[in-house]
Amino acid sequence: MKMGKHGSEVVADYSKDKKRMDGRKGMDELRPIKIKVGVIPNADGSAYLEWGQNKVYAAVYGPREALPKHSQNPYKSVIKVSYRMATFSVPERKQPRPNRRDSEISKVLGEALQKAVFVENFPNTEISVFVEVVDANAGSRVACLTAASCALADAGIPMRDLVAATGTGKAFNEIVLDLNKDEEDAPDAVDIPLGILPQTGEIVLLQMDGVITKEEFNKALQMGIKGCKDIYKIQKSALKAKYELEELKLDSAKKAIKEEGPSQAGEEKAAKPEKAEKAEKTTKKEDKAKKVKK
Amino acid sequence: MSKKVVVPGDLVSAERKRLGSNVFVSDGKVYSKVLGISDDEGEVASVVALEGKYNPQVQDTIVGVVGRVVFAGYGININSYTESFMPKSSFREELKVGDIIVATINYVNELKEADLEYAKKMYGGEIIEVTPVRTPRLIGKNGSMLELIRRGTGTEIIIGKNGRVWTRGGNIPLLKKVVKFIEENSYKSNLTNTIEAFFGVLPPEAGAAKDKKGTTEESEVMDQAQENEESDRFNTTEGE
Repeated sequence: MKMGKHGSEVVADYSKDKKRMDGRKGMDELRPIKIKVGVIPNADGSAYLEWGQNKVYAAVYGPREALPKHSQNPYKSVIKVSYRMATFSVPERKQPRPNRRDSEISKVLGEALQKAVFVENFPNTEISVFVEVVDANAGSRVACLTAASCALADAGIPMRDLVAATGTGKAFNEIVLDLNKDEEDAPDAVDIPLGILPQTGEIVLLQMDGVITKEEFNKALQMGIKGCKDIYKIQKSALKAKYELEELKLDSAKKAIKEEGPSQAGEEKAAKPEKAEKAEKTTKKEDKAKKVKK
Repeated sequence: MSKKVVVPGDLVSAERKRLGSNVFVSDGKVYSKVLGISDDEGEVASVVALEGKYNPQVQDTIVGVVGRVVFAGYGININSYTESFMPKSSFREELKVGDIIVATINYVNELKEADLEYAKKMYGGEIIEVTPVRTPRLIGKNGSMLELIRRGTGTEIIIGKNGRVWTRGGNIPLLKKVVKFIEENSYKSNLTNTIEAFFGVLPPEAGAAKDKKGTTEESEVMDQAQENEESDRFNTTEGE
């Protein structure tokens, strides 16, 4: 199964095969995605995302005063994204120093998010987004963008829409959605990270690596947009899941007392200065005393 | 189901309506700007935010902390994007870093810098931090929740719209837990009744309480925007 980008060995041909290398049945099938929101208590907003083998954390701080001061813009908020990969996220140890790729991805993610956020509402401020890749397996930048937009929503930052992103492209003679590492290493691989605002269909991130015809590109783009819309649904349900307990709490009183009651019951009584309360207490005590006597 | 959780970009109303808070219009339809709760009934299309930072607004009562002392006055941290400045002449005495003040916002400029007035130094007490967008629920309709927790815990309370609750005396550990509970459950209905039942200040009548739930509580979450204005008068009342 081993092969490099320039290896002569072709191990798969998706135009004939029915299955993809990781067992996915369809060429337009996404890897399984799991999103959890609000995982970092100290951040204003946060999200954890698992996308196939990718594992990504996103944390949002702000809007807060932009520092250094010369980075402030009196007309809008500046979104500062920091994309980093953990040293253990890839098979070969990644040097922890941010490299060219890290800064490039930070830049494009920031620009993509800028289109979604109402930046003009927060003059002179910055919104810091930290995305950390803990495990990488192709498509980590789209995973980060997806997670970052969930974290922004979790921080309560006003946005036009969430940003949904997915990888799309070509591998083994076929247009495929959401390439994994094996597919990305195919000899004819083309990787197209794509991010959109699903409500309007605006494209906020589009990069490409490889050689592809116009027809193939259009097909890949359509496939990618469809994939993004599926991801959008997952993002929405992840955000809503935090507030699922929306129904009327009829036995909420009991619940509340259970949550807070036992440890504070004594304190609460002690806190009440009203004489009536004290009177009640004393009568109760007397009652008890009487009972004991009896 | 009229109330629902919306995420940014979710449709709030397909018709033309008066615009409330946290919404924007695109192609004649009203969409949500934030993660929050929307109600599709009523005249106004608005969303009550569930998360978010403090956005200074004129007439807000805020709890500030002196963060900086300069020759002419004080830089006051109001938990917003920028600090506010107050001249020394607005106080009867010299303040030092860390002093707590309660003030009202009288002007906010286009950079969201707030001017304060009616500042008053608070002696002693401590501050409980809460999510700013959830403070209306701590005040309740016409200050009902504030009244409840004040009587229940015997503390003096001032609720700052900027997500700071100043408190002194009484049972502060209990208050902290109650405030946390209210904050965490702010988006659920029937909250005031729950707290009322918890404190037991009024004898809980099962039948009467149930009847009330439907009528008085239902609209509470959605009325927060209006409450903001109404409850201003009440949120500075202190315990006797």
